[in-house]
Amino acid sequence: MIKTLAILFVTAIVIMIDVPSMWKNKQKKELIVYSVFLFIGVTFLILLAIGVKIPSPVDIYFKTLRNH
Amino acid sequence: MQTDKVTSFQFLVLVIFFTIGSSILYIPSTLTIQVKQDAGVAAIIGVLLGLLVVWFFTTISLWFPKLTYTEVIEKIFGKFLGKLISLLFVFMAILYASALIAQSSIFLNIQMYPKTPIAYISLLLVLIVIFAVRLGIQTIARSAEIFVFPYFLLFIFLVVTISPQIEIENIEPFFQTNISSLLNSSFKLTAVSTINSIVLFMIFPAFVNDLKKSRKSFYIGTLIGGAVIVTVTMLCIFVLGPHTTLRQIYPSYTLAKVINIGDFITRIEAFMATLWTIALFFKVVLYFYAGLLGLSKILNIKEYRVLTFPVGSIVLGTSIILYPNILYQNTFNEKIAIALTIIVGLLCPLLATIVFLLRKKKLKKDPDYANSN
Repeated sequence: MIKTLAILFVTAIVIMIDVPSMWKNKQKKELIVYSVFLFIGVTFLILLAIGVKIPSPVDIYFKTLRNH
Repeated sequence: MQTDKVTSFQFLVLVIFFTIGSSILYIPSTLTIQVKQDAGVAAIIGVLLGLLVVWFFTTISLWFPKLTYTEVIEKIFGKFLGKLISLLFVFMAILYASALIAQSSIFLNIQMYPKTPIAYISLLLVLIVIFAVRLGIQTIARSAEIFVFPYFLLFIFLVVTISPQIEIENIEPFFQTNISSLLNSSFKLTAVSTINSIVLFMIFPAFVNDLKKSRKSFYIGTLIGGAVIVTVTMLCIFVLGPHTTLRQIYPSYTLAKVINIGDFITRIEAFMATLWTIALFFKVVLYFYAGLLGLSKILNIKEYRVLTFPVGSIVLGTSIILYPNILYQNTFNEKIAIALTIIVGLLCPLLATIVFLLRKKKLKKDPDYANSN
């Protein structure tokens, strides 16, 4: 729980650094791309923080290609 | 749009650091496993192959001297296919950035901070990388320019202090391996240090001052970086012997452990670890920078800096899950990374060359095409 809160806190700070300049210049596209990537990244980190086991990309190799 | 440029010397330094990068840690054992005491020969062949690759890359990128690699790909293949190939390129750069972060944090965790959780070491590394990339390519290049002198001082110190322990007998019997395994292992070195330098083509034609000089410094940088790797590999075999070298995960670190100056200065390997830390840092920064710049070009964003934190968090997450144990790291380095490097670094440029030759007439009328070639 504390890890999740820490991640959200850091994310809030990052948003406060990045977003105002984009908002001011009305860069709509940048804002959308920024939000999408930040959402993916933060979700990823929170899942890791609460202990969800995400398989490593290397596992794809182990499971599919190795037997050939 | 960023306009800051890199001088040819700064570019030379970046190429040197990129070539040395992670290879200095792993290559000695990777080569020795396959060809035992002939690893030095394999390393030399690998560097020479690298020069060929650099010639190929620079020829492609000089067709459009004002564009970065992803833009060149988009010009040649057209919009849709070009973006797809560029996306693969960006995927490779970001994946390798996280792989290197994971590798260096595992290294630091095993050798220096055994009680710190790996995630926190990765977090610190990612923060530095994000900070560096936000400041732009010129700041990165200038800091590389400063770091190169202490780097080579340390390297010469390492070579000089280890040289009394050289035992020439260790490379005997000389040249006993068959040619195919020799070429196979030297190709691994070329793949890791030179073919991956395709990410430098996000910087090379577009953001350098003097094209001709920079092209020369690309060759010289590859040679100097290669010489460092060859020296370290030779020293590992001369001092530790082939059988000890192939059993180590970090042979050059073990090499620094046996430095002994008059039984007085010993165990200075933590000091020597500066060598790998600096080179790894610049390699990660270049991967990350290239990935971000490519991504911003694909998505048509003017400023790549806004992507640093979001993509940085993805890199951090990937670096944490990538290697649950050392087996994953070996498999990734030996199999997956080599395959991905061949696809992105050799196959795509080759395809680009073929398509370029087919569409030559149309592309030559393009305003960005080089007139001098």
